[in-house]
Amino acid sequence: MLSTAASVLIDATLLTFTLALASLGLALIFGLIGVINMGHGAMLTLGAYITWASMEAGIPFVIAVLLAASCVALVGLAFEHFIIRHFYDKPFDTLLITWGFFLVTTEVIKIVFGTDIHNVPNPLPGSLDLGFQEVPAYRTLLAFIALGLILAIGVVFYRTALGIKIRALTQNREMASLLGLDIGRTYKLVFVSGSFLAGLAGALISPMLSIDPYIGMVFLVRAFFVVIVGGIGQILGGTLIGSFIIGGSETFFAIFSTQTFAQTIVFALAILVLRFRPQGILTSGTKS
Amino acid sequence: MTAIQPVAALRTACRLGASESGVAVVVLVAFAVLPIFVSGYSIYILPQYMLYGLMAMSLALLWGFGGILSIGQAGFFAIGGYAIGICFKYVEFMNPAYMGLIVAPAVGALLAGVLGYFLFRAGVRATYFVVVTLALSIIVEQVAVSQSQWTGGWNGMYIPRMSLTFGSGTDISLFDDTPMFYFILCIVAIIYILLRWLVASKFGKVLVGIRENEDRVTSLGFDTSLYKTATFVISGAVASFAGALYGSHAGFVSPSLGGVLFSTSVVVWVAIGGRASLLGSLLAAIVVASLSNYLSALAPKYWQLFVGLIFVAVIIFFRGGVAGALSRSNRLRSDEAGRNG
Repeated sequence: MLSTAASVLIDATLLTFTLALASLGLALIFGLIGVINMGHGAMLTLGAYITWASMEAGIPFVIAVLLAASCVALVGLAFEHFIIRHFYDKPFDTLLITWGFFLVTTEVIKIVFGTDIHNVPNPLPGSLDLGFQEVPAYRTLLAFIALGLILAIGVVFYRTALGIKIRALTQNREMASLLGLDIGRTYKLVFVSGSFLAGLAGALISPMLSIDPYIGMVFLVRAFFVVIVGGIGQILGGTLIGSFIIGGSETFFAIFSTQTFAQTIVFALAILVLRFRPQGILTSGTKS
Repeated sequence: MTAIQPVAALRTACRLGASESGVAVVVLVAFAVLPIFVSGYSIYILPQYMLYGLMAMSLALLWGFGGILSIGQAGFFAIGGYAIGICFKYVEFMNPAYMGLIVAPAVGALLAGVLGYFLFRAGVRATYFVVVTLALSIIVEQVAVSQSQWTGGWNGMYIPRMSLTFGSGTDISLFDDTPMFYFILCIVAIIYILLRWLVASKFGKVLVGIRENEDRVTSLGFDTSLYKTATFVISGAVASFAGALYGSHAGFVSPSLGGVLFSTSVVVWVAIGGRASLLGSLLAAIVVASLSNYLSALAPKYWQLFVGLIFVAVIIFFRGGVAGALSRSNRLRSDEAGRNG
């Protein structure tokens, strides 16, 4: 009984960090510049496909991952520069345009990589033996990478001049601009960083999935709920808490039913949270 | 190919400077005489596209008039399809098709009512609502897959063609494609007229007011969340009703009918046709679905990409879609005529 509880806890923790990894890019863009990037899922998918193609070409996994994340960041840069930056003051339009980005990117992925299901070989097979439970080594590594990324973002945020600028921007955009902060460039940096993180997440998660052109779709919705449940703008703590609530309850419900049905229940619960705490769990007060 | 005819008719009508009603009559007549000239596959497949058009109109009402976007509209469509299928399995005391055509919109309306009341009452932002409808679409697909004792799971569900019964033995079988074509054409025409009436009514005016400036409408004393919920209910009911007819026409529903891909197609049709035009959305669904069917055989890879690019272009440059562009050029022309005359 105790070991079952422990294994559920371990499963939940691993899923929490995977979700956090998959949500960081969305959380960053959503929290800092207020754009719901509906192309987030397509960026994940693109990262996974580039990783797969690079490894097929004989490139080692680590370099393939970095290559994938950089390529997705470049795509994000082009998308931001030519289209999105003209619509920052219209949230509904950015939602539609990023949805169009999802459509177009998915079709380009289908044309370039085909529609067959691909698999990326697990770069770290084997597992850690904890005595009562075997924990897959790669998923554990992934959890630590996710934790490392969150800490790294925290350092950038609270310990660098850039972080001060970004925080100034989210607190008071007009005042930051009056004080000489280049808003356009900061927004661009945030969007490209978010794209990089989305590509990185797709690349890192790819060995755990069968890759098809629509793998990003469910991650988009899960990431959105993670951000909503955790609280928008709470990029570090919020993403972790949100991932824990979404991932934890998914693991919990999966004990009693199937994985898909557990996800259905969690989506329904997340809608409840959206209804009663639209500002998220962490954010206090009722400012919208 | 047959879709070219209504397009040509539409263009002629617009050249004559006709109103939307004029175009609608021309289109209706064109469809009504179509079975005289063509037969076979076109007559089989067109009613399905008309039902797509019905779903597109349900979204146009919500998005174009209410300013509320749903990218889960196919979820309602699939619910309708499964509802009539389940009625065909279990209902014996009356014509199961009638039962299905009542149950489907009722379920759609109920779901939309609960979700809409729940979210609009709390003042959930329009952008969040979009993602919730996306989740709805995924949930419908996943439930259809996992509850296989009701839905047949991945294998889908077979549904018989319906027939019209009038009590005492005077039945009309819709098994053949031509009677089914006319039956669905009539239904689509009736719902189009009802929706036109709705958006022209006081309700529709308040709705457009909410789209333009919700705070002002609230300050005028209207309960805007109630109006938004009612619109979502009507929209969900129409989409489910269309789905039920689709199920009985196509004879088969599967989980992907409720999925995100199909939901996205509906958004694309409505954006291209013109989100604030019921007729534009209806025709865009029929034309784009026909072209998709025709061109995905010719250029399967590039057609969807092309549609995606068109969608982005419409969102960025032509917010009114085709209908918006046509009515604007019409207005400009009549302005010129006014100045010259």
